[in-house]
Amino acid sequence: MTDNNPITLEQFNKMFNTWAETMKLPTIGPMFAFSKEFGEYANEFINLGKTMAEMKANLEQYWSLINTAYVQASSETAAKAPKQFLTKEDFENYKKVMTDAFENAFTGLFSSAEFSKAYGKVFTNQLDITKEFQNIIERNSKALNLPTKSEIDEMLKDIHDLKKRVRDLEKGNEGK
Amino acid sequence: MTQQESLPKADSPATSVQAEKPEVKDVVELAMQETKENLRKVEKARTILHNASSIQVGQTPHEVVEDTRTYRLLHYQPMVANTAKTPILTVYALINKAYVLDLQPDKSWIRNLLSQGLDVYMIYWKEPTSVDKYVTFDDYVNVYIDDCVDIVRSKNKVDQVTLHGYCMGATMSAMYTSFHQEKVRNLAVLAPVIDTSKDTTVIANMARHMDVDKMLDSIGNFPPEQLYALYSALKPFKQGMAKYFNLVQNIDNDSFVGNFLRIEKWLYDTPAICGGVFKQWIDDVYRNNLLIKNEMMIGNKRVDLSKITVPLLNLVADEDHLVSPECSSPLNDAVSSTDKRLMHFHTGHVGLIASSYSQNNVLPKVGQWLKARSS
Repeated sequence: MTDNNPITLEQFNKMFNTWAETMKLPTIGPMFAFSKEFGEYANEFINLGKTMAEMKANLEQYWSLINTAYVQASSETAAKAPKQFLTKEDFENYKKVMTDAFENAFTGLFSSAEFSKAYGKVFTNQLDITKEFQNIIERNSKALNLPTKSEIDEMLKDIHDLKKRVRDLEKGNEGK
Repeated sequence: MTQQESLPKADSPATSVQAEKPEVKDVVELAMQETKENLRKVEKARTILHNASSIQVGQTPHEVVEDTRTYRLLHYQPMVANTAKTPILTVYALINKAYVLDLQPDKSWIRNLLSQGLDVYMIYWKEPTSVDKYVTFDDYVNVYIDDCVDIVRSKNKVDQVTLHGYCMGATMSAMYTSFHQEKVRNLAVLAPVIDTSKDTTVIANMARHMDVDKMLDSIGNFPPEQLYALYSALKPFKQGMAKYFNLVQNIDNDSFVGNFLRIEKWLYDTPAICGGVFKQWIDDVYRNNLLIKNEMMIGNKRVDLSKITVPLLNLVADEDHLVSPECSSPLNDAVSSTDKRLMHFHTGHVGLIASSYSQNNVLPKVGQWLKARSS
């Protein structure tokens, strides 16, 4: 495969789906427990692969936007920069022209809806990848009979609510 | 046109090298001297930056009145014999640290208010941990700020305080006042985030496509690294890079270097933001703009800005690239106060509170307004 013919997100997904099909095992009979565990683990890794492929596509879009802004700023710098560099002022002017051109191009980019969407997608992909890893660790914790992240989260929620109720009760008693 | 064509023939070093040898030699010597000088400055900057963590901030004398897992309540030592009767409770934002209001003695917001005879307290928010992921605005507004207000009222034996918030702290102060107005004498805010439909800043733009539900579920609190990413998108070249060139150029100016280091320390001293708070901040305030519509729910109560009737002072910075003036100004139309004032200043978000401009132009007016309503 060459850079001119990169693999598409659809092709990635097809590949992962094929793997998922291939790894399926009988879900009844003596293999039941192993099959269930193996299938769930395999699914987590396949989902992780899918998310990484999606992130790669989104990162390409993200860097393409950055690249466009960079090219625009570079062209503007070349057009407006002093044509000769004989004095200190020439260098100062070049610095000023370059700073202004890059500032305008990138501030314009960062203020655009297109960039905001691209950044949002990459951020979401990062969170998805974190979540996939957490799911895998959650299974490991369960297998080792350790408290899992979701169980700790439940406890945190309860503690938070209890603290609030205790505080409200204390305030109520102070007022009496 | 080629670049060669644009080069002046007579003065070009290439053509005049034979005729003006000494001049070329001088130029080369000068260039070498400058290079040597610049290298010296770069080396000095490197050494200073490596040892910068010891730089002092927040030096105005104070006592810690309350110290909890979430915040410290500071009471600053008065600087005049008779202070105004109504104490001021300063509510800082949840982004970066509160010491920017007391960065250095000659640019300290707090010190200036003290010197004008005001009695100042400040809530110094501590860094949240992963345990705090479910903490919301309800906790900050109706628990932490409310507890601090009660402590100040009790300590000073007064019924009401002046609530004085900055940025996100200003928004929380407005929320608090809408719920607990009986405890608030005046509301004085700086750059509050109120109507985000009119916020044209990069931060507002980036916030619109963040999946905060997923964030809360997977990583909990909003991490500082993401805040750095957002900050680096704000004036990335004029402020992000040019400031380091300026530092090298001014490295022998102790006052310049001191100012630079303190601001730089503050800029990157960023705690995480509690997941629950960040979700409300993005979803309710930025994405759905519920605050100005009086539809935002905190706990089981609706924030209704029109209920605010206390005197209001709203300070906005015309050059603010974090909270645009159009986003802050609508607070004055949203409240029902009859005594309300909107002041515009030709400076930026940080310049409004921690600059010579702020000491000379902003604080005298703020002090005057507060003193007239603190007897």
